[in-house]
Order: sequence, then C-alpha cells, then structure tokens
Amino acid sequence: MWFFILAELLVFGIFFLAYAFARTHNVELFNASQLELDRASGVINTVLLISSSYFVVLAVSRIRRGHSRSCASWLITAMTCGAAFLVLKLSEFSGKIEAGINMSTNTFYMFYLGLGFFHFMHVVLGMIILGAVTLKAWRGGYSAADHAGVETGAAYWHMVDLVWIVLFPLIYILN
Amino acid sequence: MSSAFTKSAARNIFYGGAVFFFLLLIGLTFDTMSTLPKRDNRENLSESVLRGKHIWETRNCIGCHTLMGEGAYFAPELVNVYKRRGPEFIKAWMQGQPTGAPGRRQMPNFHLNDEQLDDMVNFLKYTSEINTSNWPPNIEG
Amino acid sequence: MKYQSQMVAKPYFIAAIGLFLGQILFGLIMGLQYVVGDFLFPEIPFNVARMVHTNLLIVWLLFGFMGAAYYLIPEESERELHSPKLAMVMFWIFLAAGVMTILGYLFVPYATLAEMTGNNLLATMGREFLEQPLPTKVGIVVVALAMLYNLSMTVLRGRKTAINLVMLVGLWGLAIFFLFSFYNPGNIVKDKYFWWWVVHLWVEGVWELIMGAMLAFVLIKVTGVDREVIEKWLYVIIAMALITGLIGTGHHYYWIGAPEYWQWWGSVFSALEPIPFFMMTVFAFNMVNRRRREHPNKAAVLWALGTGVMAFLGAGVWGFLHTLAPVNFYTHGSQITAAHGHMAFYGAYVMVVITMISYTMPLMRGRAANSPLAQVVEMWSFWLMTVAMVFITLFLTAAGILQIWLQRISDQPMSFMAAQDQVALFYWLREGAGVIFLIGLLLYIGSFFIKGKAATAD
Repeated sequence: MWFFILAELLVFGIFFLAYAFARTHNVELFNASQLELDRASGVINTVLLISSSYFVVLAVSRIRRGHSRSCASWLITAMTCGAAFLVLKLSEFSGKIEAGINMSTNTFYMFYLGLGFFHFMHVVLGMIILGAVTLKAWRGGYSAADHAGVETGAAYWHMVDLVWIVLFPLIYILN
Repeated sequence: MSSAFTKSAARNIFYGGAVFFFLLLIGLTFDTMSTLPKRDNRENLSESVLRGKHIWETRNCIGCHTLMGEGAYFAPELVNVYKRRGPEFIKAWMQGQPTGAPGRRQMPNFHLNDEQLDDMVNFLKYTSEINTSNWPPNIEG
Repeated sequence: MKYQSQMVAKPYFIAAIGLFLGQILFGLIMGLQYVVGDFLFPEIPFNVARMVHTNLLIVWLLFGFMGAAYYLIPEESERELHSPKLAMVMFWIFLAAGVMTILGYLFVPYATLAEMTGNNLLATMGREFLEQPLPTKVGIVVVALAMLYNLSMTVLRGRKTAINLVMLVGLWGLAIFFLFSFYNPGNIVKDKYFWWWVVHLWVEGVWELIMGAMLAFVLIKVTGVDREVIEKWLYVIIAMALITGLIGTGHHYYWIGAPEYWQWWGSVFSALEPIPFFMMTVFAFNMVNRRRREHPNKAAVLWALGTGVMAFLGAGVWGFLHTLAPVNFYTHGSQITAAHGHMAFYGAYVMVVITMISYTMPLMRGRAANSPLAQVVEMWSFWLMTVAMVFITLFLTAAGILQIWLQRISDQPMSFMAAQDQVALFYWLREGAGVIFLIGLLLYIGSFFIKGKAATAD
C-alpha cells in the first residue's frame, strides 16, 4: 500500500515541480492570476482538511483500543469535513467557470484547475475509502488486534491532506 | 512487498485505479471537446474538404506520409505542405507521379480529376490552418 | 495439458507464426524500399507493403492472444472450454477474413477495395493501422464477441483466479475500445483524438493486462512459485500500467490540435509509464530466482525473462526518450518513433506471445518440453531475433537523430528527401539487421521440426 501512496506523491511531486518550472518562466502572469483566487475559501478548506486528518487520527486511536463504534463516529466526522471541502471547492470552481475561465485560459489556470480537479478526485476517492472502512468498523469488522484496513484508509487520507497542504500555499499564496 | 499488503488490496487498487483514471480521462476529454472549436479550424470544414479527406483516406496516403506527425515516415509531412509548396505545385506534383527516376522513392499516380485535385488541396489547406501548437518545428516538416 | 479443449489453441498459434513470417518478409521489402526507392514499384508500392506489414502484426498478435486465452482460461478455470467447436469456427472465420484482407490489399487498388467493401456507407478505412475494409472490421468484432462469450461462460462456471479475470478484462477492453475504429468524423482533430482510443488504449492499456496475465501464467508454471505471490505482483503491475497509461494517452495529443494542457498531463503521466515495465522485468527475474523447480523447458524460461527486459527497453526506455513534450516537439513523426515502435512491439507483445507458444506447444504435442537440441535451436533463434531487433532499433535511432538534426534543428533545414539521402547508410544497416532477424525467425520455425528424445522433468 505504501508503494501506491508513494507513487501518488510522486505524481503530485512531478506536477508541483512542473508548476514551479512553468512559474519561473512566467512569473508575472502567475502572480496576476493568483490574485484572482479566493484565498479565504482556500484557508477554510485547509482548516477543514487538517481537522479531518486529526479526526482520522482519533478514529485510529479508538480502534487500537477496540472501540469500533467510536472509531466509526470519528470517521464520519472526518468525512463531514471532507464533504464540506468538496462543496466549497465546487463553488470555487463553478465561480471560475461562470467567469469563463477554463484550463486553456492560461498556464496558471491550467495548473489551478487541473491540479485542483485532480486533487478533488482524490478527496472523493479518499471519502469512498473512508466510507467503506466506516461501514466495516460500524459492523464491528475491526478489532484492536486486526485493523490494518483502518490504518491503510487513514494513511491514504493523510496523503490527500498532505498534498493539499503543499498545493494550497504553492498555488494560492506563494507570490 | 510486505505480507500486510494482501492480494485483495492489490486487486482493489487495480480496479479502483483503473476506474479513477478512466474517469479523469473522460473528464479531460470532455474539456478537450469543448475547447476544440477554438483550435481545430472547423469553420472551414466545407463539403470539398470532407471530400478531400475521403480521397486522403481511400488512397491510403497515411501509408507513406505523416499528417501532424502521424503515419508512415517514408515520405514528407503534409500538414504544412500547403504552406510549403502552395496549391498549384501540389496538383502538378500529384499529376506528375510517378517520376520513374531510377532508384528513387516512387509515389503512385492516383488519376484524380480536376475536382478531386481541388478537394485534396482544400483538405490540405484546412489541415494547415489547425492550431498544432506550432508543430512542425519548421516549414520542412 | 489438463483439458482436451485447450488443444484449440494449437491452430491459433500455428496461424500466428505463419503470419509472423509474412510480416517479416514485407518488413524486409519496405526496408529495401527505403534505400532502393523503386524496388517492386508499381507492383507493391510502399504504402501497400506497410499496410500488410502492420496489419499482419496486429492480426497475428490477436491470433496469439486468442490462442493463449483458449489455452490458459480452461486451465485456470479448471474446466473444459464452454464450446471448443465455436472456437474452431471462429478460428477459420478469422483466418479467412485475415487472408482475404491481405490479398485484397495486394491485388486490388485500395480505392477500389474501399468502394467494393462499402466504405462509402460507413467510411472507416485509410487511417493508420485501421486500414481494414468494413467487413473485416465487423468480422473482428464478431470473432471477438464469440470468443468473449465462450471464455466468459467458461470462467463464470469455473474457478476464478487473478490470471483468468485479468485476461478476460483485458480481452473485453480490447473488444470495446476497437469499437472506436468505427467512429470517423470529418473533423481530422476529433478523428485523430479518438483514433488513439483504439491504438493507445490497446497497446499501452488493455494489451498490457493481456501481456501480464500471459506472463504470470507461464511464470507460475515454470517456476512453481506460490500463486498468491505472482498474482499480487500481477495486480500491482497492471494497476500501475493503467494508472500511468490512461492519462499517458496525452502524449499523443501534443501536436494534433488538442488543447495545450495535454503537454503537461501527457508528459507527467507518460514519464511514469516505464514503471510498470520495469516492475515486469523485476517480476520475471525475481520469480525465476525464487523458483521451486527446474522446469525442463529452458527455452520458455528464456523467452519469459527476455520479454521482461525487452519490453522495459523498448516500451519503457525508448518510450521515455521522446515522450516529454519539449523533446517530442522535435522527435515527433521521425525515425525515432519507428525505432521505439519496433522494439516496443517486439519486446512486449511478440516475445510474450512466443513465451506462451514456447511453453504450451510441447505440451500440446504430448511432452513436457522439446528435445535438448530443439531447445538449443530455439534459444539461438531467441538471441538472433533479439539482438537483431536491438540493432534495428539502434540504427533507426541513429537515423532519427540525424534526420531531426538535418531537417528540424539545423540553421538551414534540409528538405525531407534530402535528409533521407543523408541517412541512407543507417537504412542499409537496418536492412542487414532485418535479414539476421529473418534468419532467426526461420531457425525458430525450424526448431518445431527437430525431433529427438523429449526432455523430461528432473
């Protein structure tokens, strides 16, 4: 599993490098376009994802002590944060699309929309994984001794979170 | 691979990953299709150009030439041949084939009539106006 | 061989090898036409020879895949094939369609062929690799569907393993993506965009599933390594193949009128496409090193290792060489593409089909492995063909670099034909390597006729 998490980080890593490379060739365009972004929504989203990661940590610590139901509840809390992230992100995207901006507008927006959407899909996938884990935890499918599934789901979610923590300052702030 | 990583986990990653990236491909395709009108020169897709494309296909031009770099590498790139040679040269060239020069590569004569030659040229004009991100690197293709 | 119905694979493999020989002969004709331009003109113009060369490749690989499927699916499912009779009927239909198509290419002008076969009703012909007349395309769909019905019924009622499921998914994908060959819009950009959904999603997508399943099957048999281990590897490899390869399609969208963001997406993902091929090499060597038995069929083991290495070199390394958009800007549509195409097809698909043939043919002929002499000859053919292909690739790469330099980079760019004249030496060398390849292939075919005491299990 770690292999795939590393592979995913590798893909994002290459995209971040590509972003940095493209930016050095076109600093002014990137800076100008960056100012058009909604930083507030970016900050809220960052808080949402960090909190959700914290809730996932709590969920793992619960299942380590064998508390299935409480583990599931924390996972549901985490997914609620994830869902809020998705809603906010969607409204951000739809705002841009209504303004007539798309991936071909300029290189900055290619990265902003492309990477953002790519990450968005990862959040969706992460929620599907957490959902499956929650369901199994709720039914008592994990125990203090055997809860590899929870750990794996948690690791994936942290990866999605970690990517956002790099992506947010890189695309929204760094000027 | 560690023993904690089970076969069913590997299977789930395969099916999940395949679906995930296929959806991403469809998403990007959707966006591509909505962007194409700005790039693909569709406003000039006349009846003549469509007939020209049909001639292009039924004479298997792609079996020797490339078009936008795709095809066989036996004969010159044709996406920009309209700009490189101009319409009259292209017609005269096609009518003058094969050259019969000993040892040289030969192009068959397809016995196109005047209207078909015009269609062919119009097709090549249409392709030369597609936005190919400045490819080929120079006029020689 | 455990089930009688696996025998239907035999005619499929024999047809595959026969068509392979035809492919190589036409390859040599084309190679010569590169330097002696009027060779066989006007009897066999280059475009006809090329169409025959590439279409024979596709058809014989499909024969190989089908034969492999008919062999391994009953064995994996632990039951007889649903209908061996249907498989045989389909064999003759496919062979007849294939041969008729090739004869049509050779003896009927292409435009006339198009008119005769209903291309005016639904124009699908005249696009690279999809030159087949409409009836042939429909025939491919019919044969594929009949095969899928046959195989799916076998798997549904039998044991389900990773290998037979992956094989089945791969073959279904092959059939489904082929349907895009019937879509031919007048807009050339859309035409090309979806043309790649057949070509790329075949060779850098679902075919890798088929290849992985075949390789895994043979490795289980010849190494005796635990199925759990091999099947886990299989899933990881094909997962990586699709994760990188699906968006990797973008490396074909740089210069055909598609939006420019494909240069980023295509570069990033296709730069990762060597990973699954590298894993395949590691997989093959790792499993052979951990073998629990000495299988008497040494030749099959050699092919299995060879396909791992050559697929990585041809598809992985040579693919990576020119996949990044800034590089591809110069290399696109040059002899570099030809170099990559040759080694990738040979390493990944030709060799894996031969691996399968090499392992199964002795079993279908009633022995665990061929006589030591026959195996030695087969291994010689392995080295001759493989080394010849390495040299073909190197010569074409050299020709490509020179061509790009003269025609696209230099301050006074040469015209296409002037540049071609400058690189003629490399084309002669390539043709020489091609002759060695043919000798290797003849040796390979000869190895089937060498008798002697069959090798037995140690």
